[in-house]
Amino acid sequence: MSNETVSRPQSERPAGAARVKAKSRPADRIFLGLSTGSAALIMVILAAVALFLIIQAAPAIVQNWSTNPDLSKGTTEGHDNFWDYVLPLIWGTVWSSAIALVIGAPIAIGIALFISHYAPRRIAGILGYLVDLLAAVPSIIFGLWGIFVIRPFLKPLEVWLNHNLGWFPLFGGQATSTGSTILAGAVVLAVMILPIVTSISREIFLQTPRLHEEAALALGATKWEMIRYAVFPYARSGVVSAVLLGLGRALGETMAIALIISPSLIFSVKLLTDSQNPQTIAANLALNFPESDTLQRQALIGTGLMLFVISLAVNFVARAVITRTGGSKRSRGTKKPKAETLPLVPTSTAALEESAVVGTGKTRDEGARA
Amino acid sequence: MGPSAGFHPYNHIPEGNTVNIKRYGAIAAVVGATALVLAGCATSNSSGSSDSPSAKPTTETVVGPKVDTSLTGTITAGGSSAQANAETAWTAAFQGTQAKGVVVNYDKSQGSGGGVTNFLSGSYDFAGSDAALNATQYPQAVTLCAGGSPVDIPAYLSGVALIYKLDGVTDLQLSSATVAKIFTLQIKTWDDPAIKADNPKATLPSTPITVVTRSDGSGTTANFTKYMHDTQPSIFTQAVGTAWPVAGTSGQQGGSGVVNAVTAGTGTIGYADQSSIGTATAAKVSGSGKDFVAYTAEGATEAFDSAATVASQGAGDLTEVIDYSKISGKSAYPIPLLSYVITCTVHKDAAQGKLTQAYLGYVLSTQGQLVGSKNAGAAPLPTSVLKAAQKTIALIK
Repeated sequence: MSNETVSRPQSERPAGAARVKAKSRPADRIFLGLSTGSAALIMVILAAVALFLIIQAAPAIVQNWSTNPDLSKGTTEGHDNFWDYVLPLIWGTVWSSAIALVIGAPIAIGIALFISHYAPRRIAGILGYLVDLLAAVPSIIFGLWGIFVIRPFLKPLEVWLNHNLGWFPLFGGQATSTGSTILAGAVVLAVMILPIVTSISREIFLQTPRLHEEAALALGATKWEMIRYAVFPYARSGVVSAVLLGLGRALGETMAIALIISPSLIFSVKLLTDSQNPQTIAANLALNFPESDTLQRQALIGTGLMLFVISLAVNFVARAVITRTGGSKRSRGTKKPKAETLPLVPTSTAALEESAVVGTGKTRDEGARA
Repeated sequence: MGPSAGFHPYNHIPEGNTVNIKRYGAIAAVVGATALVLAGCATSNSSGSSDSPSAKPTTETVVGPKVDTSLTGTITAGGSSAQANAETAWTAAFQGTQAKGVVVNYDKSQGSGGGVTNFLSGSYDFAGSDAALNATQYPQAVTLCAGGSPVDIPAYLSGVALIYKLDGVTDLQLSSATVAKIFTLQIKTWDDPAIKADNPKATLPSTPITVVTRSDGSGTTANFTKYMHDTQPSIFTQAVGTAWPVAGTSGQQGGSGVVNAVTAGTGTIGYADQSSIGTATAAKVSGSGKDFVAYTAEGATEAFDSAATVASQGAGDLTEVIDYSKISGKSAYPIPLLSYVITCTVHKDAAQGKLTQAYLGYVLSTQGQLVGSKNAGAAPLPTSVLKAAQKTIALIK
């Protein structure tokens, strides 16, 4: 709560100038304590969850599964060790989420763009509200919708693809007869991640500085070119973070996948079969937990630990991508934008006048002087 | 430039995993509600089709211990989802006719394995389980029931129905060998010679067979695989247990998922608990004999009567072993499905012991079994079993 000046960037203050501290009353200290406590609580909870997973899973992970009487029957039967069991599950989790992302992310970004730049104001408001409403639908409802609507709907397409394009690895195998394919599951997953990606992308697109957009339009860009040159470069890291948040949701999705897909523990890329759909970690946990013995449950918790690790990894990658491509968007107002994110658009009116005379090729240098 | 802010800011959609953790808790309620609705549909159909027990007029009535009508308390239990509908019916009848103040909370989302695990950790007064305590769990239960002994009491009897959907065929008959071959994917089309031999009068199309099974762990799977393993060990060589062992089938979540997938497809065949099949067509099955038998409640009772023997694990324990080769005759249904209640003879809290004894005494009485068969599609247990069960229940305190 120091009085740092907002008019002069930190790097330009004289060295040795003391930081000015504000007065501190009891209320300040209490609030500081509360916020620090909350932050600490989050870390404690995260650590507690990680510890719980590790402690519970450890006995099952270190066992030899083929000789242990509990682990060689039932849920975990037929696997030599933990990794033999969990690696196909990890593959299934990543694969189904990847397909969902490929299907859902472009559509979500398209919707966000439509809402922020193309739609009339009122429609944009309604559409935004409807998309946010989609996020309120429970995942079990999505699962039931998937069973009763999406599976029969996609089945003719799946059978057609399998018969006519079966030579392609993704479309091979024996065609489905109940529609319980990973494609159906991924379509439902894509619908589930739509609200997350759309909402965040929409906010990012709306934050594009008006000046940049009008500058591009003034230079003779069409609407699409304006979006391509002013909005996308600005929004890139925000959209990446939105997509990765959607990926996080897809990775952990349980009930929809458990209800829709006919699972197996295999490494497969086939999209259109009943018997070669790789199972995801979360759905496998949900389906097998009730009928499992103690040690088998610990094995399942071990797979949950793997999911936890994957989710953490995805979030780290998201952070790395964000920090590397332009920093936090919220500080845009006070920080100079990096020149390379705006290759063609000048960043001040002065530069605008100059470039109007000289041509767009010189804007990078003009922008750096702003 | 797009429309400026006028619609609500995006600040409330939570991070992926926290949503799922919170929602998974709410899912149990919605799944429970869905299952109850589906069960309601199933029950209303099956109560029409299950005949009122045409018991021999001289069957004696077995009653439980006398219940004080002013008894109050809460019984915490859970486990097998197969007996869940029956538990609901029993609870309602017990509250209505025996003691209004007793509340029974049966949690069916735990599954048999979860029910036994919770029972062994001391949180349940009794557990519902499709399998009796096994060799690893029994010693743990002995420690839990210090001062008494753990007992498995058969409480719920039904059958495994083989449901199918095939155009033009409404009266399918399958021998146990054919059943085993179909479900191990050795027979792939409906016009296979083996199926034709079982159904000389039917016209079978050449549709490929789609086998629908359970993708989650299930006591129904355990009963069905045991049937195939015991009657056709040379054809069904895979493992018996709660997890479906044959790869290549279409796995669905829950019995209702199997029923739904079978009825929504064509050329499909699957297995499910009889009380949950609703309007799906069930095949007639033969056991070790030659007769093809359709499911009836009396048929299940008769099969159980002839084939089940007690293999007690301790004092008062009534673990049953079913010898499928003993099921024969024109009416005994070859694939019975049994579910137990597991409890201690001595409870740490005497009040809970009294409540459990009163409730289980009602469940294992002729009246209780009648309630189960009328409302949940169960088959009443034979009188001899009820008598033995009451002897065990008399030990509970």
